[in-house]
Amino acid sequence: MRNKHCIYQESHSIVSPLGIGSLENFEAIAAGNSRLRLYPDHWGIPEPFFASLFDENTAFLHRVSRQGKALSRVESIAITAAEQAIEQAGIDASAEEVLFVLSTTKGNVELLAEPHCDDPSAVYLWHSAQMIAGHFGNPNTPIVVSNACISGCAAQLTAFNMLQYSDKYKHIVVIGAEVLSKFIISGFQSFKALSPERCKPFDANRCGLNLGEAAAAIVYGRCENPDTLPNDTIILEAGAICNDANHISGPSRTGEGLLRAIHRTTEGFDTKRIAFINAHGTATLYNDDMESVAINRAGLQDIPVNSLKGYYGHTLGAAGVMEVILSSIALQKHRILPSMGSENPGTANPLNVCLQRSTTDGDAFLKLISGFGGSNAALLFSLKQEKQVTGDRLQVTDDKKRGSNSWEQIAKYHLTPALCKLSPNIDEQLTQQYRHIGINYPKFFKMDRLCKAGFLGAEVLLKDLIDDEKKNDDWGIILMNSASSLDNDRRFQQTIAEDNYFPSPSIFVYTLANIVTGEIAIRHKIGGETSFYVMPELDEELMTELIVQSFNANPQLTHILCGWVNVDSEECEVRMWLYRRGDAHCVSSGRREVDIV
Amino acid sequence: MEELINKLKEEIIDVLNLEGMKPEDIDENAPLFGEGLGLDSIDALELIVLMEKEYGIKLKNANEGKEIFKSVRVMAEYIHEHKTK
Repeated sequence: MRNKHCIYQESHSIVSPLGIGSLENFEAIAAGNSRLRLYPDHWGIPEPFFASLFDENTAFLHRVSRQGKALSRVESIAITAAEQAIEQAGIDASAEEVLFVLSTTKGNVELLAEPHCDDPSAVYLWHSAQMIAGHFGNPNTPIVVSNACISGCAAQLTAFNMLQYSDKYKHIVVIGAEVLSKFIISGFQSFKALSPERCKPFDANRCGLNLGEAAAAIVYGRCENPDTLPNDTIILEAGAICNDANHISGPSRTGEGLLRAIHRTTEGFDTKRIAFINAHGTATLYNDDMESVAINRAGLQDIPVNSLKGYYGHTLGAAGVMEVILSSIALQKHRILPSMGSENPGTANPLNVCLQRSTTDGDAFLKLISGFGGSNAALLFSLKQEKQVTGDRLQVTDDKKRGSNSWEQIAKYHLTPALCKLSPNIDEQLTQQYRHIGINYPKFFKMDRLCKAGFLGAEVLLKDLIDDEKKNDDWGIILMNSASSLDNDRRFQQTIAEDNYFPSPSIFVYTLANIVTGEIAIRHKIGGETSFYVMPELDEELMTELIVQSFNANPQLTHILCGWVNVDSEECEVRMWLYRRGDAHCVSSGRREVDIV
Repeated sequence: MEELINKLKEEIIDVLNLEGMKPEDIDENAPLFGEGLGLDSIDALELIVLMEKEYGIKLKNANEGKEIFKSVRVMAEYIHEHKTK
């Protein structure tokens, strides 16, 4: 009911330890194959782990770009997946009308273990994105979405909004890619989150997740009239991101954020059409319970649910993209893939877990995903059929219903590097600012420096403007930076040195850039969209575009806190703005500029 | 035991970043989680690392911590009994 354009999948590809190609991967898992296995002694990690890894000798792991530069493992698999998808779509990836969006949580973080790396910028996520887009000669600055485990779905939503509300691009190549390393495995081990055997999503005896490596790419395009699309085309109907505002690593026991994301995504859609729900289903006790609660509260408990983690493990930044591709093929074949590893379902609320191969008449599926930072996302896909039943959703809603899309900047806060340098070190500066504000929030001292910086910016900016006593589900947070969580990644790396190996869970939890959005959401009970993007430097034009699109896509959003929060080595920069929708109710108004020294 | 309790309090304040707290502020008989110091699940995982790093005690299952981290005194008694370094 709110879509101007029809956004559809033009092509896709998967690169995984099971092989190259979407269909090859689908057939492999449909036959019950998996590369999940025990690694008793790998990468110098003292404890064994169960995972799905690429064979180190695989040629496509060690590629050279068209410009003759050696590519990292994650860049190599991302390019391999994108290459196939771009070729199948028949688009010119070097055209200005094509944009690349990369979803990854840790990119080249394994390079931190190599102190004498040739190119110090290689460890930055934006650098990987540039290597990938550059390989195809694409002229646009690629966007990196780093929203923890929901990144893959968040990237598709970014593409959806870009195509829906901007005329700049005609095709968007969404790539999800992740490789594993001692860094990631040891962190999850310190969280006691890994299962010692094949994971069992939604099973009563589930005992943790498995991790996996993969890359997946989808080319999204847009058209005015879905009737012109071939039958069986997969259409991205809608999606939403919502924050639990509850805890930075534990999911909400009531499934609050996921429930809201489901509601906003399925609003106005006949849910009887949904053939299956492809859930996150990580096989951790709390995630699967939370999903069961949210699905029941949404009244969707009778719809078959599956998880694909029992085939590939949790592929982090790739998961949301890869699982959408496999579910899309299943929908086209009118099949529901069984949840490998599930034998005896047992979750907080009962679910219709798909245990056997089955067929379906439904013509839509719902993808769910949740992650650290309290983030949750839902995406709804439908199958284009002879008679397009989705017609009623593809009308432009008039502006009265949608709410005004004008917006204004009402407050800003800048903590510049010059201000930071007044103090001998960032830690001291941040503590001074905290004391100056005069609040009592002991958790501040547990945060990493990126979170502290973002937290302080939000604290100053939102003071008197936001009601911390009530839920603020109509507020959103969009932050961006250049170094993602590298400042804290370097700290975690020190805890996994060979001669002093004690990986710290309280440091590891902050090795995701979007945790800062989670900390702010918890503090101010903000339950709308929370997103984190990575780019080489602050691009105000792009930031404005993302804000406008978020206001457009989320009619209920009244305010967006946005900004640039970057901490890298001994440099700290915070630039934050608060925007509100033009005609929306606002708790306060007026312009506020704050500088604290 | 009292010496170990005091040492443990200092270590807990340090690894859990309990800003502004001194060892004498922690009641060794009060619960560490919930009402006591208001610690959460990530703190519990960090205490597991502390036990391994400082005392050579390895907990396989995070659930074992529930009993051990009842209070600083219970934790000290467990460490006294099981420490390997």
